[in-house]
Amino acid sequence: MVWIESMLTISKESWEIIVADACAAYPRECCGVLLGELDPADDDLRTATVAIPCRNAHQEGRNDRFFIHPDDQLAAQKRARAEGLEVLGFFHSHPDEHAYFSATDLANSLHWYSNVVVSVRKGELAGAACFRVNEEKTHAETEDLVHPG
Amino acid sequence: MPRIFIPAPLRQYAGGAKEVDVAGATVGEALGALTARHGDLKKHLYNDEGRLRSFVNVYLNDEDIRYLDKEASAVGESDTLSIVPSIAGGR
Repeated sequence: MVWIESMLTISKESWEIIVADACAAYPRECCGVLLGELDPADDDLRTATVAIPCRNAHQEGRNDRFFIHPDDQLAAQKRARAEGLEVLGFFHSHPDEHAYFSATDLANSLHWYSNVVVSVRKGELAGAACFRVNEEKTHAETEDLVHPG
Repeated sequence: MPRIFIPAPLRQYAGGAKEVDVAGATVGEALGALTARHGDLKKHLYNDEGRLRSFVNVYLNDEDIRYLDKEASAVGESDTLSIVPSIAGGR
């Protein structure tokens, strides 16, 4: 398949929420939903204006696993509709690991969505990257990520 | 008519619709009407055995249908159904 260049820009307020959530959750993984807008001319140019930390509902191993509580996702969907926004994707952290898209991430994600991964080492932000997966969930492509700080 | 909200990744299989109003007295009937209208959606919602895929959560208003009567849950004219894909992962 042909990959289309894509870019996610995160607002200052949203970025601060993501970083704060990732650091507060350390050494566990945090997770959440990103809401925002699509460029009217190009769905692959996105701006996240709202970051919503969610419950990590993974039953065990929350240091290296996350599962966004579906109830929280539903609430995010409703908020998006109410505010005229779109669910653009999700964020989660990798404690003491770099910001890559793991095989576990790939297997449990969905195409179209932007997936922001933040690296947290010793409780502090150490990097971030964004990924999109193909429909078959066999491959993740880096998405340009623009964030303050 | 019950209204079904379609998440963005699945809209390409629903003619681009964000929401679809369908006939049906149960969740199963409503989803059946949806996939009858938009056939490409079926394989993304159901497995080969005809069961909802494990990573597909369906909410009737604010309730996960797994905690109601699942696909036999009754729906009314003003009810909404939300399709919520499971999102998980980890390092």
